[in-house]
Amino acid sequence: MTEHVLDELEAYALGALDRAEAERIAQHLSTCASCRKDAAALAEIVDALPDTVALREPRPALRERLLQAARTETRLPLRGGVSRRWSLALVRPWRLAIAAVGAAVIVLGAADVDAYRRLVAVTAERDAYNKTMESIREGARTWYMAGLDSFNGSGGTLYDPRAAGKQPFVLFHDLPPIAQDKVLTIWLVSPDSTWARAATFRPSGQDIQVVEISSEVAGFDRCAVTLDDSPWGKHGTIVMESRIAPPTPP
Amino acid sequence: MPDLQPPDDVLLSSLAARDLGALAALYDRYGRLAYSLAYRILGESEAAEDVVQDAFLSAWRGAGTYRRERGNPRAWLLSIVHHRAVDILRRKTTFRPAPLEMAESQPSDDDTALTAEKNVEHRTVREALEALPQAQRRTIELAYFGGYTHVELSELMGVPLGTVKGRMRIGLQKMRRALERTR
Repeated sequence: MTEHVLDELEAYALGALDRAEAERIAQHLSTCASCRKDAAALAEIVDALPDTVALREPRPALRERLLQAARTETRLPLRGGVSRRWSLALVRPWRLAIAAVGAAVIVLGAADVDAYRRLVAVTAERDAYNKTMESIREGARTWYMAGLDSFNGSGGTLYDPRAAGKQPFVLFHDLPPIAQDKVLTIWLVSPDSTWARAATFRPSGQDIQVVEISSEVAGFDRCAVTLDDSPWGKHGTIVMESRIAPPTPP
Repeated sequence: MPDLQPPDDVLLSSLAARDLGALAALYDRYGRLAYSLAYRILGESEAAEDVVQDAFLSAWRGAGTYRRERGNPRAWLLSIVHHRAVDILRRKTTFRPAPLEMAESQPSDDDTALTAEKNVEHRTVREALEALPQAQRRTIELAYFGGYTHVELSELMGVPLGTVKGRMRIGLQKMRRALERTR
């Protein structure tokens, strides 16, 4: 780690460094928690400085000009020759809502009202919605796996229904297409690092996709999804994963 | 009557989902302040509008990469405005308007409760800045609104670089204490 930069943090916060100096400070801050904390405290003060400015109205046309420019950008094809770039920018709120319900269940013990309302809006994916809500009503435990690297922006929530006879499943959103000769595998990993294959599948091309898994979740402490060459053998690249918290003791 | 406006975080999530309505709402919330900041730095309405449009489009494109540790959405957006405006200012070598030569405060034409509450916050920050000794206040204003680097300020004000740094440090510390007292 480079030397602390306390002497220059005020100038950095005020934007009073030239580009090279600012980059040097930013580089240091990326590795130094102590300076980062001081910089954040200074930034809070500097962030208030716009409040000292005399307020002026821009011309009303600016609003329409901005929206028109954004509208035009939205219609343009994405750069890079890729048919669809998978990023958080493409995740619609209702898709996030499905994933968020899982987190809400953990935190609140039940789907919060807002998440529930948003979820109700998901009419196009009624089957997945019904399945998800049924599990939540029955007190399913959930864990969200965020997509990594080329799967950034996608994710999957593992649902473990408590009701007897109900299979665990993963509700994926925004899965990107994969090569013809590849498959995705859902794994459950035990504390002694034994990997158990729970399901093998390919993305359906739909915005959300439910994949049921064949084994009980109990006894495992991690779940993962890998991109594999075949539906057998060792696991390939991990594209999403999560810890599985043990059940809360009564 | 409860405030039914979506919080900034929610607006940014919707922005990331390419929701033009969220962009319009964000602009309605911060467009005026963003424009006022850009105008204060640049002193020209046309250039200020260009900066505001550029900053909001940048947020539109980059909302998916926004992280909370960069500051709250308002601070993040205004920091984009500030950086863009200062970049333009620094490219102009002939004249830089000093902040004290710029427009004085204009009364707000809104009278909603929210605006009134905001105005209290604004007044608190303004008073904290105005309460500083002139040298500290001028150093902070010239750095933030004037776009001067600390080295340039040392030359402009005819004082050692260490003095400029000291004025910035003590001035910001005093502002922090003043703001903490009112929170």
